Amino acid sequence: MSFARPRLALGLTPKLITASRSTALRSTLIAHRSISSSRCSHAEVTDTPGKINDSKTIKSPVGTGSYTAANEPDKYIDPYKDGPGAIDKAVHLFFFTEIIRGMWIVLENFFRPPYTIMYPYEKGPLSPRFRGEHALRRYPSGEERCIACKLCEAICPAQAITIESEPREDGSRKTTKYDIDMTKCIYCGFCQEACPVDAIVETQNQEFSTETREELLYNKEKLLANGDRAEAEIAANLHSDHVYR
Amino acid sequence: MLAVCRRHLSQQKAIAPILFGNRLQRVCYSSTSASAGNASPIEYCRDYVRKHDYEGFLTSQVYPKHKQGGYFAIKAFYIELAMIQESVSNVTLGQMRMQFWRDAIKDISNNRPPRHPIALALYETSQSAQLQPYHFKRIIDARESELSAPAHLTVDSLTSHAESTASTFFYLSLALLSLSSSTLTHAASHLGIAQSLSTLIRALPFHTSKGRMVIPAEITARHGVNQQHIFTEQRPSKGLEDATFDFATVANDHLITARDMFKETGGKVPQEAIPVFSAAIPVASFLRRLEKANFNAFDPSLQVRDWKLPWQVWRGYYKRTF
Repeated sequence: MSFARPRLALGLTPKLITASRSTALRSTLIAHRSISSSRCSHAEVTDTPGKINDSKTIKSPVGTGSYTAANEPDKYIDPYKDGPGAIDKAVHLFFFTEIIRGMWIVLENFFRPPYTIMYPYEKGPLSPRFRGEHALRRYPSGEERCIACKLCEAICPAQAITIESEPREDGSRKTTKYDIDMTKCIYCGFCQEACPVDAIVETQNQEFSTETREELLYNKEKLLANGDRAEAEIAANLHSDHVYR
Repeated sequence: MLAVCRRHLSQQKAIAPILFGNRLQRVCYSSTSASAGNASPIEYCRDYVRKHDYEGFLTSQVYPKHKQGGYFAIKAFYIELAMIQESVSNVTLGQMRMQFWRDAIKDISNNRPPRHPIALALYETSQSAQLQPYHFKRIIDARESELSAPAHLTVDSLTSHAESTASTFFYLSLALLSLSSSTLTHAASHLGIAQSLSTLIRALPFHTSKGRMVIPAEITARHGVNQQHIFTEQRPSKGLEDATFDFATVANDHLITARDMFKETGGKVPQEAIPVFSAAIPVASFLRRLEKANFNAFDPSLQVRDWKLPWQVWRGYYKRTF
């Protein structure tokens, strides 16, 4: 108790900062224990009327040893009168260490390479199954893959795809209109999964914002142009799937 | 089907476009012939088989030249159907694609094939060979039922599934070569089962990463395999190795039974049938390597292609054994 008092008088904070880590910890513990277990240094007897108030009158008085349990000599002493409250102590201890820990993280990261990607010039990794802007593919011979089976139109949960088709002279069916409303599309990828000829695919492109709404209503030319631009990438991504059965 | 390429190979491919953008593009264009498409469907099927099932491509080389196109068409059809389950996210989508193929087979027999290169190649093939639509329908039905129930409880149900997929493919190959002896058909059915089971063992790391156990519950239960443990750990346990051993034994038994069919001729397959049965060479090679890896299906050595395989196929062709 007696060692704790001068420490308490110095205060908690200077100790924490100046001492090395182990001693700081130990002294913190001691201080903590002594704060909670000891009385405050400023504890004093309150000035309520009591028999022990005047010390001079108590030396071997006539009526010594005549206190009863009802007298309770400590009854009017408030040990925490002028000292810090329990919440003040907790704030000192925990809030201050929080600040130190936060500052430590700042210091650590100061010496690390930055996490930031310079976005338009650098890009993060994308999964081969990333679902972005749509594209219509062609065969290596240049022929359109789409056979106008309309499975994508049927499965589309947002009903964003509209197809019109007509038979051609050679007997094949080709689309005359293949529209995707990109404002309706929810990028679920069902059209790609339903397509039996791998014609409609979702490319890795996610940067196709436009100034007007009309530009997001894609037609067949736009989709085929997307496919021509990204064909190598699409083929490589599709190839990452293999037969496992 | 046997082209169970590595998981990390596919991851490398995902990175490749970033690293070697230009080179990749060049490789892509040089590996696919410029005319592949509806104009030359056989070319398309050939590229398709080479990309997705390299071992099937190797064994195609022992087919007579004028039959190779038909082989590629049937094989591409088989690969296409086998891959549907991995490429769709729900059963309805898979059923739609199965329906497309069911309609396609019907239209092919009505001389109105859809403008799908594989369907066109099949149509072209069916002009010169007697391919029964029944076999195609059987493959489609089996694949469709697999969509909703990918795991098997008993070895018997898995065997019957393998018989309606891989074995049926071999029946079609035999029909392509106009061979119809009951010995060959019987041997082909056992070969198909062996091939199907070994493919599943090969793809075990892939399937466990997707949370599926391909070994029938009957076998795993016998060895006390904790499935959840394997799905989360992605490592084999003692029990799984024992189960793999049991499962591989079933595959090997079928392979041996197929060999026994040719006992009378001293283990030699008839010259005209060797193209079909050369498909057993990659299966035997895989099972040998699995044994060497102590039936640890996760062993990295099993995920790479065996470099001796072309030699083994060539040798098997001249010795007429598998």
